Amino acid sequence: MARIYQVPSHARLWLTLAIIAASLPQLSDGPWWQAVLLVVVLGWRALLDRQRLAQPGRLVRLGLLLATVGATFYSFGRLHGPEAGSALITSLFALKYLELVGKRDAYVLIVLGYFVCATILLFHRGPLAALYVVGCLTLLTASLAGINYSDTHARRRQHLTVASAMLLQALPLAVVLFVLVPRVAPLWNMQLDSGQARTGMSDSMSPGQVSRLTESSELAFRVQFQGTPPPPDQRYWRGLTYAYFDGTTWRQARPPGWSDADTFYDGRGPAPPWYRGLRAADRGPAWEYRVIMEPSQQRWLYALAVPFTDLDGQGLARDLRLVADNPVSGSYGYQVRSVPAAAEGLDLNGPERRLMLDLPDTGNRRARDLAASWRQRYRDDRELVQAALRYFREQPFHYTLEPPRLSGDTVDGFLFNTRRGFCEHYASSFTFLMRAAGIPARVVAGYQGGEPNGDYLQIRQYDAHAWTEVWLNGRWVRVDPTGAVAPERIELGLRGLVEGRADAGGDAVAGALGRLPVLFRVQQWMDYVDFNWQKWVLGYRQEDQRALIERLLGAFTPTRVALALLGAVLLVTAVLAVLVLARRRDAPARPLEREFARLRRGLARRGLNVADCHSAAALEAAAARRWPGAAGRAGHWRRYFEYLAYRRDGDPPAGELRQLRRRRRALMAGLKA
Amino acid sequence: MVKNAWQRWLDRRLPRARQVQLDQRRIFILPTGYGVLYLIVAVLLFFGGVNYENNLILALCFLMVSLFVVAILHTFRNLSGLMLRAGGGRSGFVGGQGSLEVVLIARRRPHRALWLRWLDQAAQEVSVESGEETGLWLNLPLRRRGPVVPPRLRVESRYPLGLLRAWSLVALDQECLAWPRPQESADCPAEGGDRERRVARAGQSGSEEFRGLRGYVPGDSLSQVDWKGYARGRGLNVKLFEEPASGRLWLRYDRTDELPLEQRLSILCYWVLRLSRENRPFALALPGAELPPGQGDEQRQRALDLLARHGKGG
Repeated sequence: MARIYQVPSHARLWLTLAIIAASLPQLSDGPWWQAVLLVVVLGWRALLDRQRLAQPGRLVRLGLLLATVGATFYSFGRLHGPEAGSALITSLFALKYLELVGKRDAYVLIVLGYFVCATILLFHRGPLAALYVVGCLTLLTASLAGINYSDTHARRRQHLTVASAMLLQALPLAVVLFVLVPRVAPLWNMQLDSGQARTGMSDSMSPGQVSRLTESSELAFRVQFQGTPPPPDQRYWRGLTYAYFDGTTWRQARPPGWSDADTFYDGRGPAPPWYRGLRAADRGPAWEYRVIMEPSQQRWLYALAVPFTDLDGQGLARDLRLVADNPVSGSYGYQVRSVPAAAEGLDLNGPERRLMLDLPDTGNRRARDLAASWRQRYRDDRELVQAALRYFREQPFHYTLEPPRLSGDTVDGFLFNTRRGFCEHYASSFTFLMRAAGIPARVVAGYQGGEPNGDYLQIRQYDAHAWTEVWLNGRWVRVDPTGAVAPERIELGLRGLVEGRADAGGDAVAGALGRLPVLFRVQQWMDYVDFNWQKWVLGYRQEDQRALIERLLGAFTPTRVALALLGAVLLVTAVLAVLVLARRRDAPARPLEREFARLRRGLARRGLNVADCHSAAALEAAAARRWPGAAGRAGHWRRYFEYLAYRRDGDPPAGELRQLRRRRRALMAGLKA
Repeated sequence: MVKNAWQRWLDRRLPRARQVQLDQRRIFILPTGYGVLYLIVAVLLFFGGVNYENNLILALCFLMVSLFVVAILHTFRNLSGLMLRAGGGRSGFVGGQGSLEVVLIARRRPHRALWLRWLDQAAQEVSVESGEETGLWLNLPLRRRGPVVPPRLRVESRYPLGLLRAWSLVALDQECLAWPRPQESADCPAEGGDRERRVARAGQSGSEEFRGLRGYVPGDSLSQVDWKGYARGRGLNVKLFEEPASGRLWLRYDRTDELPLEQRLSILCYWVLRLSRENRPFALALPGAELPPGQGDEQRQRALDLLARHGKGG
């Protein structure tokens, strides 16, 4: 027999709230018309529920659907892809609410709600977003509980209580599943490109580029060391090397005729000779740490010199930097082992050496002359490098974030005129001088330093830095001319530097860096939470799972994982079942029943058999027979008990219960006599 | 064959009883269509999470699956411990509806959104709060005369989330009677009394001699209550009349026309109803059973029951 399942009115509130809550994030991210659509639908629905408006006909609904699809296409240029898909599903969710009639519609609506929740998580990944989605899930569950309880006496609050209790009970099992369910590799590749330009390094460097980054205190990445981290002046996070200079801009380059195979190894196929050479030189002290990158939309990763990884998801380039297989679009973690000594495993010959010495044919005459004069004086490359650093230290160079603009021969202009610059000026001119003096050199861009927070370091955009590497004694040696000019930049980091000397140049940065101490503390704390969230929740991947299971079970085999999963799920479910199905006492004891039971127990302790006394009068009679002296008190108690039990409706107030208790105690005390 | 085996298995596992408490032996539980859809959504989210390498979407999927597991326990709990007791029965005429009362007793916990139905009937929804009991009358179509034993009662619940359906097939030891369908006939199959007055003087009970009063017992006709005395505070009494021997009607099976059994019973039924309506005393004689003379609702009920049970082995 067909039944019309109406959605009960006490479930409506939760359903409406669930729709609003689940749609809100998309409304703030998506195009404006979505908000309009939701408001229209909610308004229409409200009128409909008050019978002021008719249910929209099929044509109206079809029209709205087409308009929504059209608007989505207009806003995004397509209907697929995460952004357009999320917008579409959120709109459909709202539209479905309009045609809600029966239970079936409510079910469809709630299923759509789960998808909308998932789309929220596609774009928001913080702990707060997760909490928010759990909130949405609670509302959806409360709606489910509501539509399945069509009794008109049901109260709204009840559904929310049921939903919250069930979700709380579901949490432990969800955690077990999260930790133990094997992660599979993506079945097909999906790039989530939010298309926003982000601050960060770029693949070329011209004057003024890095200093712009210092205006941003955005997080670049975090590093957690296993063991003590290196001192600040050793923390050079290499990201890119620039080998080609056109007179103003340094760019990434590789020797002519070389291909990816010569400069890059991602673990697939046989290892090229240079990689084998590096591996062979893998000895001496090493740093082990884990880096968690913020999304940069770029492929390059940051690490200390000569970084070795498991090459899963990233590869090593010949210029000793890590490159991810895909642009980093979400937060991305990787484990690195950096071996400074391994740099000896490389050679520099032929076209590569020529590239590292390459300079534009003309321009920057004075700098070339200076380099030539050093070359004549110092036969040894090492001494020449020292002389150049001495030059930067002794000449009146200034480290400033607001260097004057340079044009024409930028190197000459900086070295001999303005002499005020930021790290990229120093790195650029130093590398130019080295090459002019015949020493292979390149510019390295990355970050330097890092602020400790808890057990990890935060590296922010204002830690961006550029320095030089020169080829000395058969290996690349890091030389930081900025350190010669402003050693405190390296020791303290830019933040320390600005706090230390509040000069005119530093004030501009102070806006980005200097905050109220309390606020700063709060921010650091929030970042700590965020870091652990990134590390344990967002960044929990196959390898972490593997490590954890190896630690717990000894080995990572499919059988063991399956058994562990099964065992844990069964255990948690069993505990839950005991909790949920635990038998309560048949009837909840009322205060008067408790009083009665207490007196019975008391009398039984005094050796009076009262097992067959089921009424107050029977108790009184038994007590009076055994202790005639207490008969009065027993009657006293009995009368008051009966008064409370039969003359009143419901449980007596606390005062009267106290009175009864006093009479019971008096009776018990009187038994001795 | 399969159906019979299933019935036999059910009868062995869940025998008929006056009172049944639902426990894990009696409760079956399976996902509903919506529950399956819900799991499919969870699986889709899993693949979404894997492909976007988004642990939060995976976590959402795991939370949904866990919620499903918790829902199994809660749906089961909603039925578990529910006590069903066979309540009263209301008989009816063949072709009409009888109804049987099922008393639901919630001893330990509330049982909400329960759906009760005989296997082939529409369901009724009911909720029982903790410590309460509720009676529910379920209609039963009466197709054949005689005692009607209801089919198994299906007690079902999808509360709280509708993801799972827990149900039990309860066989309560109760029955109601299907009385013969009354069939009009001009001739009263009666003997004794005055044949001429049987119809003409119907309803004339005042002609009997007043004999005395006796205390009211349920079933006595209200029209014989001594209302005047009641109003004077003498309690609820019934007036008794001395019936003239000639006025006592014996409805007799063997005086009906030569018709099939059911039709003869139908005719008797018609007369039982008619005489009761006219508030006249009557007696009933069937082959192998006899109802002594009497009148009122009680008498009517007894007569109908006797007719219903005739030839049905009690």
